[in-house]
Amino acid sequence: MWIKRLTTFFTDAYNNPSTKTILLVLYYLAIIAGLIAMYGKGDFSTAKFVYQGF
Amino acid sequence: MKRTPHLTAGVASVILLVAGMTGFNYYAGSLESKYIHALGSLDLQQTRNGIALQQAAFQQPDLLPIYGSSEITMVDTPYQANIFFDTYPSGFAAIDIANLGMSSITMAQNLAAVGPAIRGKKVVISITPAPFTMGALSEQYYAGNYTRLHAYEMIYSPYLSLDTKSAAAKRMLEFPATLQADPFLKLTLSALNRPSPVRLFYYIAWPFGELQTIVMRLQDHAAVIAYLQSHPLRAEVSRQPRAIDWPGTLAAASQEQKLHTLNNPYGVEDTKWKNYQQLLANPIIPGSGDSRFVRNVQGAREWDDLKILLGVLRELGAKPLILSRPMNVHLWEALGVSEQAQNTFYTKLQDVSAPYNVLVVDYREYGTDIYFSIDQAAHTSRKGWVHVDQTLDDFFHGRIQQP
Repeated sequence: MWIKRLTTFFTDAYNNPSTKTILLVLYYLAIIAGLIAMYGKGDFSTAKFVYQGF
Repeated sequence: MKRTPHLTAGVASVILLVAGMTGFNYYAGSLESKYIHALGSLDLQQTRNGIALQQAAFQQPDLLPIYGSSEITMVDTPYQANIFFDTYPSGFAAIDIANLGMSSITMAQNLAAVGPAIRGKKVVISITPAPFTMGALSEQYYAGNYTRLHAYEMIYSPYLSLDTKSAAAKRMLEFPATLQADPFLKLTLSALNRPSPVRLFYYIAWPFGELQTIVMRLQDHAAVIAYLQSHPLRAEVSRQPRAIDWPGTLAAASQEQKLHTLNNPYGVEDTKWKNYQQLLANPIIPGSGDSRFVRNVQGAREWDDLKILLGVLRELGAKPLILSRPMNVHLWEALGVSEQAQNTFYTKLQDVSAPYNVLVVDYREYGTDIYFSIDQAAHTSRKGWVHVDQTLDDFFHGRIQQP
């Protein structure tokens, strides 16, 4: 029963243009957030070397 | 009206993303400014390899950034500027942006990356005669100090002339190992180094390069914030103004230095003397190394890199002090290079720096003081550091005049 109600709620919400846009914005932002979480960490390390003076 | 929900949502997402990034940028900047005094003395890799903390340092009126190489980091002593001025005895602290093997081209990239934050600001460029007299820049040293962020910032900088960027690009292409994983940058460098119409590719690539640079800047901020979250710090630092007793400090450092040079007559640090024993085992004819030395100095690629560095400083409007070190005269003489030949270094340094109208201190008068440096490469000794500290103090307080 509650699944049906939830489905109806989302179907109604998606059919409403404003709500649909908001949901899409949230969806896109979630994708961007995921990408940032996966690739957002920079690598500032440098190659290792042994200093042997001049 | 045609309904375009995806387009509207896409545009709204981009606007929100840009707003979020801008907010993050300001938040990170304010944190960095707040903690830079505490972070500056920690010798963090992120300070050297990023730019956020360097920019924050330049914003502070009581921090003096020093860019340099092994002469800054090699001798572990309380006379090192970043330790000596740690408690702001005369109103400022020195912050090191230095690493072993760092050369003029790396410093140029670093400062180009800092960008307009250095306009009108004092900055110290520490150099030694070594890379100008003792061989070419090693690819390993360059790679060991190379960061992608600095390279991108320099090449896509809107604040530098095309001539300066082209000269830098030409030099960067000589170290292909650093570009191996970055074909986009390599292609841009090649295009920048060619005449039109190939150079057109540089302009086409520019927006993409700039976008990549923005991403790396944000990552740099994120790295600083992550460090602050994992290492809770107090933003306040101890400040103990006092009159510095320079003669007393110099006498103490001199005495201490002598205790570290007991096994040779040239003032070489005891631990380094074994490197020279073999070289000096057989008699060397005085002046026998002059022609080779002069040839090396005249032809050193490091001068070209220094010109790029001085060009960057001029175009960004910085107020630099070029702080060289003296030739270790007696040791070089023992190795067959006369003092007259050694003076080629000072002459060339003056010739190269004169067009840029910068302050240059070369300590030539201390060349015969065997306790100023610890070796042939003029790495600064404890005693040498006191002279350097005094120069830094004079520079910060405007007591060194333009030539």
